[in-house]
Amino acid sequence: MKISFLLHNAYAIGGTITTTFNLAQALAERHEVEIVSVLRHRELPNFVLDPRVSLRPLVDLRQERDHPLHQRPARVFPRSEYRYGQYSELTDHRIAEALATIEADAVIGTRPGLNVHLAGQAPPHVARVGQEHLTLDNHSPRLRTALRRAYRGLDVLTTVTEADAAAYRRRMRLPGVRVEALPNSVPDPVLPAADGSAKVVVAAGRLVPVKRYDLLVEAFAAVAAEHPDWQLRIYGKGEEQDRLRRLITDLGLWNNVFLMGAAAPMEAEWVKGSIGAATSDFEPFGMTIVEAMRCGLPVVSTDCPHGPAEIIADRVDGRLVPVGDRDALAAALLELVGDDELRRRMSRAAQENARRFAPGPVVEQAERLITEAVSARRAGRRVVRQRQGGTLTARGSAARDTALIAASGALRLVRKGRP
Amino acid sequence: MTTPRAGCAIDAEGRITFALPAGHGHGLLLRLRPKKGQPEETLHVLDLDSVGEGRAQAVLGAEPVLAEGRWDVYLLDGDERTRLRPGPRDLRALVDGHLRERRGPLAVRVPYVTKDGYLAVRTWLRPAHAEADRVDITGGTLKVAARLHGASPLDGAEVRLRLRRGEGTLRTVEPLVAEDGRSFSFTVDDATLDIGIWDLFVRPAAGAPMIRLARLLDDVADRKHVHVYPGATAGELVVRPYYTVDNDLSLEVTRAG
Repeated sequence: MKISFLLHNAYAIGGTITTTFNLAQALAERHEVEIVSVLRHRELPNFVLDPRVSLRPLVDLRQERDHPLHQRPARVFPRSEYRYGQYSELTDHRIAEALATIEADAVIGTRPGLNVHLAGQAPPHVARVGQEHLTLDNHSPRLRTALRRAYRGLDVLTTVTEADAAAYRRRMRLPGVRVEALPNSVPDPVLPAADGSAKVVVAAGRLVPVKRYDLLVEAFAAVAAEHPDWQLRIYGKGEEQDRLRRLITDLGLWNNVFLMGAAAPMEAEWVKGSIGAATSDFEPFGMTIVEAMRCGLPVVSTDCPHGPAEIIADRVDGRLVPVGDRDALAAALLELVGDDELRRRMSRAAQENARRFAPGPVVEQAERLITEAVSARRAGRRVVRQRQGGTLTARGSAARDTALIAASGALRLVRKGRP
Repeated sequence: MTTPRAGCAIDAEGRITFALPAGHGHGLLLRLRPKKGQPEETLHVLDLDSVGEGRAQAVLGAEPVLAEGRWDVYLLDGDERTRLRPGPRDLRALVDGHLRERRGPLAVRVPYVTKDGYLAVRTWLRPAHAEADRVDITGGTLKVAARLHGASPLDGAEVRLRLRRGEGTLRTVEPLVAEDGRSFSFTVDDATLDIGIWDLFVRPAAGAPMIRLARLLDDVADRKHVHVYPGATAGELVVRPYYTVDNDLSLEVTRAG
């Protein structure tokens, strides 16, 4: 088959980019695969892309940032999408054109706004697979309403967790669309796994509030107090950098806690540690948890919606602690730091258990979903023939979102009316 | 075609094994990056040998001793040379490197990725070395711990602060030396330091050469923005320790407020 991925920006760093590259490369073993990157802002991607996968940017910001059409707001890409500000009439045109002329049997969209393009603009013979790397619960009512309409034009919708797939089935009426959880895959590590001896705890992700690195730094104060020879390394950059630096200073942790800057790929950094940490309030999947486990690190994570609990088996291959609970986080870290045998046992379990996220099983499932969509398209029928349940709940959800939007509109009017 | 990426792994002795896909040339060239406007002079060539499974390797043994600086890594193919991009760098053997005793001269290698995305090796070569460790700041007092490598044990040692561009302006502090004569610490709470940058040295014994304080014995090639310390306020002054671009430890003295 010919398969095209539609990606926001293949040249940046992030979980969606990593997982798209991983899936594209694995599919390239048997298929002709390309990645269409809506934006490009630098010469080469941060991650090495298998030469069998071709990469095609649509808008090169290095030359086209000042393009007149790029100054005009997007009309197709939904206004309520997180990345709306980066889209424009220029991206509207280029994406539409790319889809109209695409030579693929199936196109895979990788974020809500791009799925909207895909569902509405792909030619009739092209199978449409929408991927959601975020979650329905976290979308605004306005975005949910936009997607509720648009996603009916998809053949397959994949989420990264079972919990999110269940939410889509319950809250959205998408007749004929196959909704299924397809976890992110992480390739087999090329370096030997960590052996559990390094006195280093590693965390990685963008330095943004939702990742709660502040909580991690605070919890690590307890570790540093009891075990001054242990260090915490946080990889990534972002708006929280200065605030985290101040926190490290205020807590006197400059000998133990380090902001390492961005690293991509992370593998060589994971293997320098022996415990991983993930402290988000919210994590659609938790790519870094799987990466760390595949490198032999048991991960201490918050049990936040949705990903961590579908990846970590508590006390077997890692730890799950309540969201936002600094003391529980500190206790879980201390237990692992203080017990070499426990750490080594969990390290082995983590490697073993994380194999289910290897490209093999995930790619097989993706291939099956794509094939199903392609044959349904060829036969001129929908992928799912039977009526899906949950229609009443879905109607209720739709009505609730409409009411929420109306209420927020009314609130804006009230605010506007104030002197 | 695009240049292959070279992965590398380093062991505790500093031996570096570079690995890349086979069939891409016959050797690797390490070149000491010359100062701006200077010709390149110091080169080191490694054979690239096939090791099966479509992989080729080049090994930089613990010898030779490389000059201090930044070494760019090139692939040699006939007369062509191409700068290599990095693959995975397995530096785990370096992480607890400060725990091992070193002899002098101290030669350190840390493979790293340049700002423009190429593979390079950062090297240090010091006759002897004082490895900076914990920095503690309580109120106006700054306390620095360090450990001596590659020199006779401290005996009548002095820690010296030397004002950069200060025409020999020196301050001397007596360190607290551990029983083994290698670990030491010292405090700075001098409210009379000149504004400016002070470089830190230890002189192990009377008449011995001064040894620069630095932090070189782990996997961090560039620690200036990683190991960051706050300042200690002594009277009207703020004394902030920091690592230079060469990972040497210095004090930045500024006026408070």
